[in-house]
Amino acid sequence: MNSVDFILIASYLGAAFAIGISSVGAGIGEGLIAANATRALMRQPKASESLLKTMLIGQALTETGAIFALVVALLLLFGGMTNSNGGWQMVASLFGAGLVIGIGSLGPALGNGYTGGHACKGIGRQPREANLLTANMLIGQALSQTSAIFALVISMILLYSTPAGDSIVKSFALVGAVFSMGFGTFGPGLGIGMVAAKAVEAISKFPKQSPLLTRTMFVGAAVAESTSIYSLVIAFLLIFVA
Amino acid sequence: MSEIVRAAALLGAGLCMGMGALGPGLGEGFTAGKACESIARSPENAGLITRTMLVGQAVSESTGIYSLVISLLLIFAV
Repeated sequence: MNSVDFILIASYLGAAFAIGISSVGAGIGEGLIAANATRALMRQPKASESLLKTMLIGQALTETGAIFALVVALLLLFGGMTNSNGGWQMVASLFGAGLVIGIGSLGPALGNGYTGGHACKGIGRQPREANLLTANMLIGQALSQTSAIFALVISMILLYSTPAGDSIVKSFALVGAVFSMGFGTFGPGLGIGMVAAKAVEAISKFPKQSPLLTRTMFVGAAVAESTSIYSLVIAFLLIFVA
Repeated sequence: MSEIVRAAALLGAGLCMGMGALGPGLGEGFTAGKACESIARSPENAGLITRTMLVGQAVSESTGIYSLVISLLLIFAV
């Protein structure tokens, strides 16, 4: 078996890991939102319309990471990525492209689910503030999703712009970039989800304080995001410099 | 230095930054979440709570910065 076979193996395995790992997060997150929406419906049956709307919007945002992974998986399977002159670096980058979006969408999906769940719970508590709560949920989920977009960027770079070659050092550097960005999105994605969830919960209890709470949420989320930016920098250094 | 040592150093740099970013991100998010909860209960102390939140997050961030430094050392110095 030479490296040409391994290129095919790497792209098939990468596609499988991408969609397999990312569906775990999306499934749990969406289930959390639906569970909280049904419980809120028990308390406030009259708010069913706004609850259904918020639940579906929240679930759609939670799904984003899994859709990124689906796109990467389809590109790996049918995108004609398997250049037979790629060498070991191609093996590493194709497998890595799948793995990075798989691990990378896990944290943001769980965080989005947590936020959406608290938004539905909040609407059950204060049905009149449904629009305010949905707006804050959307801002929080978008902040949490940023790190999944970083993972998508690294995945696309690995798919399209890695130099072909047989250097073992470069191949290991590419796998290192995958681990850096993949695990690096997990903490920030989940952490920002927790900030946004608590902010939405607090707004549902004290709607008058919403401007102050949204501001504090932004500051907290920005600090929590910093480590995923470090990971992005290290991943870029490993891909382009090392 | 042999090729395989350099390869291991680069793989280690990636693992180091990835795992190192996990904890601070989660911890800082947890802090900011509790800060939101407290500000909602006593908005008059918002300045004090935000200051304490930022100091706490700075301490929590330190391990992320250690990981960044070690990763940069593994890439450029080892």
